[in-house]
Amino acid sequence: MLNVIVQRLILSIPVLFGVMLFGFLLMQVVPGDPALVVAGPSATPDVVAAIREEMGLDKPVLVQFWGYLERMAQGDLGRSMISNKAVTEELGAALGPTLELMIGAMIWSVPVGIAMGTLAAVLRGSLVDRAIMALSVAGVSLPIFFISLVMIQWLGVTYPIFTFIGRPGPWYTAEGFMGLFLPAFSLGLILIGPVARMTRSSVLEVLKLDHVRTARAKGLSETRVILAHGLRNALIPVITLVGLQVGYLLGGAVVTETIFSWPGLGRLAVGAILSSDFTVAQGTIMLFALGFITVNLIVDVLYSLLDPRVRK
Amino acid sequence: MTMTSANAASAAPATEDADQVTAPARAHWFRRLLRDRAAALALLTLTVIILGAVFAPWLATHDPASNSRSIMTPPVWSAMGEAEHWLGTDGQGRDIYSRLLYGARLTLLIGFLAVGLGGFIGSLIGLMSAFNEKLDPIVMRTMDVLLSFPAILLGLALVAVMGQGVVPVVIALSVSSIPDCARVARGIAIGVMKQEFIEAGRAVGLSNLQLFQRYLVRNAISSIMIFISLRFGQTILIGATLSFLGLGAKPPAAELGMMASQGREFLLFAPHIAVIPSVVIFVIVLSANVAGDALRDVLDPRLQA
Repeated sequence: MLNVIVQRLILSIPVLFGVMLFGFLLMQVVPGDPALVVAGPSATPDVVAAIREEMGLDKPVLVQFWGYLERMAQGDLGRSMISNKAVTEELGAALGPTLELMIGAMIWSVPVGIAMGTLAAVLRGSLVDRAIMALSVAGVSLPIFFISLVMIQWLGVTYPIFTFIGRPGPWYTAEGFMGLFLPAFSLGLILIGPVARMTRSSVLEVLKLDHVRTARAKGLSETRVILAHGLRNALIPVITLVGLQVGYLLGGAVVTETIFSWPGLGRLAVGAILSSDFTVAQGTIMLFALGFITVNLIVDVLYSLLDPRVRK
Repeated sequence: MTMTSANAASAAPATEDADQVTAPARAHWFRRLLRDRAAALALLTLTVIILGAVFAPWLATHDPASNSRSIMTPPVWSAMGEAEHWLGTDGQGRDIYSRLLYGARLTLLIGFLAVGLGGFIGSLIGLMSAFNEKLDPIVMRTMDVLLSFPAILLGLALVAVMGQGVVPVVIALSVSSIPDCARVARGIAIGVMKQEFIEAGRAVGLSNLQLFQRYLVRNAISSIMIFISLRFGQTILIGATLSFLGLGAKPPAAELGMMASQGREFLLFAPHIAVIPSVVIFVIVLSANVAGDALRDVLDPRLQA
């Protein structure tokens, strides 16, 4: 067990290094002189030169890379080229809302998807099965921006139940919940299809196995057979899928945040890229990658915890 | 979704089925595909949309970039509609029908280029990896690393470097297709490599290159192509999403995701500007997914859950 964790941690090191290198190269190939961007258009050449020296841009690339690694190790990602705030400060402020949005999306859509998938598997070939499968293909094909716009139009404007601009407060306050509902609902919708499909095929697979036949043979009720012997084992691949889908969800979050003006990482990233704020762009992209690696790591560990076959 | 289902399916079943996909199923797979009514409809829809996009210059009634005096005209079936612009006009008075044709052109082109390029590079990597056992672990490890970058993230990073435009979007979508295609191609190729004719080829003294080209590639290619085509819908969707975010095509070009994004500010008074292109994207992606699933079921029934 511990072996698996240690092994996976060691395997993450090159990936992590790759991400850091990627972030560094990103800044190297960016068009234009970062010092010029920081100094602003009206700065004199002396000022630009001073800033270049201060940022270490006059040194050889390898020295710059070492300095960059040193700063990263100390958690220093530089300052925003636009707001001049520390990048870590901007990231810290945006991380909470993004986590809130993603958890808000997953907390309702994963159970719904699992329930739909199990129902479809149990009623295989019936009208219900076909309807659920058709719905999940449609769900996978729907552009997330379209869902969000329809939700705004429907539950924000025509029936003004929920608010749809920004984050009025944390989720546990009334205003905060009303503001979180629509983006979390829209984002969750894109996850239902994949989860339902995966659960269905996984449950079908498990129901064919010997231990399920044994459970039936010893006279357990069908509900118990499906829930305790079928679904429990079928959920292992579903967990992996949900982990893999976190990246997909993160992509969806970028869109949802932009549309709902949600003050999270996705909106920060898009805004930074569109306004050439390279330090913030670099910071958000690296944080995304780091988050994704961490989630994959957790999924792998969970997988080995849940599946005794992997444990050895 | 296509991505993960292909992932999950890539290694085991594809390997066993590599030969079966090509041999007995080929005879009337297309007829069997058309017997599935949903798949037939999806194929028909896709064909119509692709034809519309290809012949856009002849089918368009207006210049997609030129403004007219009637702004935000609703479609012809609503009370305020005009026959002149049957799908209405956008916020700048441009004809939506004509822009849709050109928009579908760019959206589909981005999808085809990305799937083609990513599929080609990915399959080549997968085939070589299966062919050369020494290469295999290194290549597959690299693919795992690449797989950990979601497409939108790659898109964001590339646009940050290259500036907004169609080229970075195509590159990002291609690169994010590579690991999946490589894994699938490798799975199929390993199945082919186990066949006797490979050994026979070795025995008669074919060079590695000949063995690779004549025996491996030719026997694996059709199955690989099918799996690559499954990615088309999702690739189109991500491409349109990047354009929606303002990271893809630049105005005045028409692209479906960008058109939807331009309609956002008029959502309250003229919802059709955002809704029509969004629905077209949905229809394209849905048709591609339905047709792709049916194709996989017909050609490779064991993957059908």
